[in-house]
Amino acid sequence: MGEMGRQQAIQVDGLRVSFGDFVAIPGLSFIARYGEIHGVIGPNGAGKTTLLDVITGKTRPKAGKVLLDGSIDLLRLSEPEIALAGVGRKFQKPSVFDALTVRENLELALRLEPRSIRAEILNWADSRRASRMAEVLDEIGLGDAADRLAGTLAHGQKQWLEIGMLLMQRPKLLMLDEPVAGMTEQETAHTADLVRRLKAPDRAVLVIEHDMAFVEEIADRVTVLHEGAPIFEGRMADARANARVREVYLGR
Amino acid sequence: MAANDAVGRVERPGLFRAVAAAMVAIAVALPILGGPLAGGPAGISPYFANIVGQIATFALLAIALDLIWGYAGILSLGHGLFFAFGGYLVAMHMLKAGYVYNGVTPDVMTFMGWTELPVHWFGFEFFPYALLLIFALPGLLAFAYGYFSFRSRVAGVYFAIITQALTYVAMLLMFRNDTGFGGNNGMTGFTTVLGFDVGDEGTIVGLATVSVVVTLGIYLGCGRLMRSPFGRILIAIRDEEDRLRFLGYDTLWPKLAVWTLSAMIAAIAGALYVPQVGIINPKLLSPELSIEIAVWVALGGRGALAGAVIGAVLISALKFWLTGFAPDLWPFILAGVVLLIVTTLPNGLLDLRLPRLRAAPATAGSRAPGTAAEVGQGG
Amino acid sequence: MICLALPGRAVALDRVAILAEICSEDFRAQQAALESLAAAGADEGREGALWARAVVEGFEGRDLRCGADGAFIEGPDGLVSAETLAPAAPDGDLSAPSVNLRLRATAASAGFVLALFTEDSAEARLRAAGRLDRRREAVSAPVLAAALEIERDPAIAAVIGEIRTSLLLGDPDPTRRAEAIGAIAADATLRNRTTIAEALANETDPAVRAAAEVALAEIDRTLAIGKALATLYSGVSYASVLLLAALGLAIIFGLMGVINLAQGELIMVGAYATYFTQELIRIVVPGALDWYLFLAIPVSFGAAALVGIVMEATVIRRLYARPLMTLLATWAISLLLINAVRVGIGTQNLEFHQPAYVSGGFPVIGDFIMTSNRLFAIAVAVAAFFAVLALIRFTTLGINMRAVTQNRAMAGAAGIDTRRTDRLAFGLGSGLAGLAGLALSPLYNVNPTMGTGFIVDSFMVVVLGGVGSLAGAVVAAFGIGQINVAIEPVYGAVAAKVIVLLLVILFIQRRPEGLFAPKGRR
Repeated sequence: MGEMGRQQAIQVDGLRVSFGDFVAIPGLSFIARYGEIHGVIGPNGAGKTTLLDVITGKTRPKAGKVLLDGSIDLLRLSEPEIALAGVGRKFQKPSVFDALTVRENLELALRLEPRSIRAEILNWADSRRASRMAEVLDEIGLGDAADRLAGTLAHGQKQWLEIGMLLMQRPKLLMLDEPVAGMTEQETAHTADLVRRLKAPDRAVLVIEHDMAFVEEIADRVTVLHEGAPIFEGRMADARANARVREVYLGR
Repeated sequence: MAANDAVGRVERPGLFRAVAAAMVAIAVALPILGGPLAGGPAGISPYFANIVGQIATFALLAIALDLIWGYAGILSLGHGLFFAFGGYLVAMHMLKAGYVYNGVTPDVMTFMGWTELPVHWFGFEFFPYALLLIFALPGLLAFAYGYFSFRSRVAGVYFAIITQALTYVAMLLMFRNDTGFGGNNGMTGFTTVLGFDVGDEGTIVGLATVSVVVTLGIYLGCGRLMRSPFGRILIAIRDEEDRLRFLGYDTLWPKLAVWTLSAMIAAIAGALYVPQVGIINPKLLSPELSIEIAVWVALGGRGALAGAVIGAVLISALKFWLTGFAPDLWPFILAGVVLLIVTTLPNGLLDLRLPRLRAAPATAGSRAPGTAAEVGQGG
Repeated sequence: MICLALPGRAVALDRVAILAEICSEDFRAQQAALESLAAAGADEGREGALWARAVVEGFEGRDLRCGADGAFIEGPDGLVSAETLAPAAPDGDLSAPSVNLRLRATAASAGFVLALFTEDSAEARLRAAGRLDRRREAVSAPVLAAALEIERDPAIAAVIGEIRTSLLLGDPDPTRRAEAIGAIAADATLRNRTTIAEALANETDPAVRAAAEVALAEIDRTLAIGKALATLYSGVSYASVLLLAALGLAIIFGLMGVINLAQGELIMVGAYATYFTQELIRIVVPGALDWYLFLAIPVSFGAAALVGIVMEATVIRRLYARPLMTLLATWAISLLLINAVRVGIGTQNLEFHQPAYVSGGFPVIGDFIMTSNRLFAIAVAVAAFFAVLALIRFTTLGINMRAVTQNRAMAGAAGIDTRRTDRLAFGLGSGLAGLAGLALSPLYNVNPTMGTGFIVDSFMVVVLGGVGSLAGAVVAAFGIGQINVAIEPVYGAVAAKVIVLLLVILFIQRRPEGLFAPKGRR
């Protein structure tokens, strides 16, 4: 782990999550840094999505700390507040607003006035919106489809649109939940390309995936989760060689 | 539990304008045909004008429901509550005004053995005060209920059923005589509205015209609102509320705003309806009426205000016509319409891509069938 | 009237002396004689009572003849001796003793008292007791005590006991009055409470007053317990019907996210199926009519389940992705069902035969009677609940239902026919509503709109209990049933509904997933 100098974007400490008697995450500590793409892999039930749920405020943990920028305690904030603090999340299932156009989807995602929806609506025509819009449309490659209803897009395009919506927000921490699930090989390649371009010095990208090849292609560092606990952290190539990881993944 | 029944983008600017034009035409034609030309070959009877006015208030009610169901995806099966709330308040205004200015003792006083109207009737004879309450009280009720429901993320069928239960309870409450609003019999015997005699033909036509004009105004205003970014936020809530929340929108406030607005519009519709039928009783609070509102919107097409208006006009005109000679048939037809919509026309009539449909609002609105008798008519 | 006179036995009553008194023209003596005769049953048992009754009736019917040789009775077969009731042929003139109105009344009362000892027919004894109830001044407490001792019929004993206590309450001796109050208080009913309260109002003796006050307090406590139990009981019976309806609703909602607004009408279908079963049995095997409620169990379940399955197959299955539309659709179906029944059968309340096992009840304490019709409803609900529990635990359908409820996609991928599971579960949920209709039929009015009141309460049970949680449904049903029944008598049915609704709204603020939220990520 050579890049210790890089600043922490998200710090998870001693996290414990349980639902009734079922303990999803017994104790997890984890750090994602700015300027990195961090993959989180693990078999089903490893606690990957639960981890995202906790960071985005959907699930409240029994114990632990979640800090953004080392200072913002996310556990005290509501879901919208966490989003406004700079945490963007792409859902596993493509979640876009089907009845709105691609452009309108992106428009909604841009928050110039984070504190008030009313102020946002009143400043809807702000020129900064238009320029940011053109930038993002270009980035996700949906410039030609800008006025199509999102509901008419292909599966892969919806995923890119959702990533585009997150980019509109300029998140500090961007979390992608299985971004290539259900994609064709071509779409996967495009997505890998897109995710690589998301990398920025002031942004940490967290990718949750099953697809090891995809993670290997994009991630600077991976964490392997098993039953809610990290069993490996480091480079993907090393993960493949790790005996414990092989055991968990390939079975005993 | 996903509660957002998929609605395609059904807004149709052409249809919206056609319905607006039809309403303008009716608003202009009513006072002419029912006024100077009344009795002539082209004229209409006050009775017919009255029915047009009533249907206009139903259309307004449908607009109110479409705002929350069609746009925000929140189904209320209790909008009759707000409709009746507005109706009871305007009835109190008319009775109090009749008592103060014309010396007509309201039945409810005799009935309850009151020598004076109780303190909560204070000031009701002043129209501006009554109007303020018609906006404020149903709005407050909706705000309070909406705040608690939306804050705890009560949504979908839970929300719908609880609104229905709330309305049902209100009905039981109003059916009681000791509530002081006329119980079973409701309130009737209105004599005056804004200084006009309610039985006067001019007043009847005037009320109908006002109903159409108010409906038109609210229709245009809501249309504008729904095309604004606010409308887009509502659609986003309907389609993927979680996505919007994780984009940093606290969806509680837009939902609460449209819910309260919707309740207030329903209350206005009720306040226009009651002077025209001359009676208010707890039947307006029955679950059937509230569900019927949803049927209007479902038939016309959710998420398009024009559709809501068309649905309300078609179904209530059909009901006026049918209950005149085959009241037993009505429940079967209503049930049949609902089953047809839900099984084959998820977006209601908007699913029909027939060119004929473009002309539908104009015909339905201006030529409502004339041989109908509404229960509770007159007074 | 046959009589076996056994002269060897010791005779407590001096028959000759009594007859002499009767025959005397002295009004006071005649009165005294009649009173002694009335006591014959108590003093001499049945045999003496039979003799006394013959004399009293002879006197009253003016068949008694007095002469120098003694008294005789003019019977259908000629004269008999009034002393032995054996045929006799006296010498000399015979004359009937004079009977004035007072004497006639005394004689009649004595006749009724004696009837209690001599009549074989319970009906006749009951009639006699009833007549005595209205002429309490004519009887004495010890005689009634003796009658009470030999009486086997509880209804007659109740009447006699009551006359006796009221006599004792009027006794000039305060100790007796206090005893009487104690005796009455032993059976704590509202009626006895009134009796004691009246006695207290007229009582001047401080000791008796104290006894009465103690007794009243005692009765009040027992009555309060009885009332509480009665409330609890009717709450439990209402809840058990609610549970049946809500269980069906919860199964369907948990599995498919569909709120069946026609659940109330499926209750109605079950009740009508019960009615038609009754009518069919009345025609085909009239002898088995009493058992129609049991024969209707499969019929009511089946009829409602069939309606449910048809609903599912024709409408609901098209709407699984659109839960709000299912509300409208199921409402339309309820409208159809109500109006089809209204037009096809009529709006009148149906008449149900009430077999012995659903009429009457068992008195428990105070005024609380455990009525059989409610017991029947509870029994049906409990049996159905455990049947459903077993079905869900142990059958393939149950396992499939649980799997689909938890994760539809995974269950489908694992090879479960989710469509078929949906349909059968819908049938099961509907059938349970049908059973609720059966359980209701001895309790409530059965008419086309009977189901409309249930849907709100049933849904509240589902909300409170948590989707797909049977334990939650039970607790919620009983909670709501109890609240309804407990508030109703105090504040009225409306307040009960308002309070229940407000409680539910407040409750889901704190626990949106119900009392027993399923564990796991949602």
